Amino acid sequence: MVTTSPLSRAWIILIFLSLLSALAAELVETGVDTRITGSLVLALSLFKARLILSRYLGLCDAPAWRRGFNLTLTFFCLGLLGLYLAPSLS
Amino acid sequence: MTQQPPSLLEELPGDLLMWVLIISELLIFGAGLIAFLAMRMADPAGFAEAQAHLDRTGAALNTVVLISSGYLAAQALHWRKAARRRAARYALAAAAALGVLFLVIKGMEYADKAALGINWETHSFFMFYYMLTGFHAAHVVAGILLLLLVAWRDSVENIELGAAFWHMVDLVWVLLFPVIYLLV
Repeated sequence: MVTTSPLSRAWIILIFLSLLSALAAELVETGVDTRITGSLVLALSLFKARLILSRYLGLCDAPAWRRGFNLTLTFFCLGLLGLYLAPSLS
Repeated sequence: MTQQPPSLLEELPGDLLMWVLIISELLIFGAGLIAFLAMRMADPAGFAEAQAHLDRTGAALNTVVLISSGYLAAQALHWRKAARRRAARYALAAAAALGVLFLVIKGMEYADKAALGINWETHSFFMFYYMLTGFHAAHVVAGILLLLLVAWRDSVENIELGAAFWHMVDLVWVLLFPVIYLLV
């Protein structure tokens, strides 16, 4: 049985999430609400950033730091989402 | 005798100063992205029209290139720790080569904009586009040089430092790409 390392798995997931981001952005052409696609794209970016911090930068071995970075990144992405959605809400 | 658990700072992988640099860079790019979206609030239609001129396919390809390059840099550190010096050096060289490919694709994108007569004065969207992607590209150049340097001076500490800088470049792109290229 072929086994992959956590690092290789992270790389495969990152590629997959990047493809999903591109597809989500293309959904706009089919008439899907940009607020939905935009939210999806930002959520996928947050997952990718968390994965890079955890597996590439090694924060998986430093849980307290990982929690701190994840929390800050989540608030940052929520801020970006708020700024992105604001024009369509006013 | 019981062993003391590592302190919070000791728990952090790699060099503390590199983490200070990573956090500083993230704050700078983060502020840039917030300013970009704040400016967009005043003219969402104009930003969407300007964004339509960007090459999403090339930028998506560049995401795959950087993510793969980051993987090779991380793999190089694992191999060096396992005393596989040659494999680690090849991985770092390959990571740097992918960095060069990123710059080539980015250069083609800039050339395409120039051919269309688009520059940083065309629209405030493009001012942010050139500022943020240009600043990021400058970090890619620095990262490539650093990867080649640590492939030469290949101690575990050096590779850990070079790879961490490269992952920061990767991380910034993962946040910058969707905001500039994908959020319509």
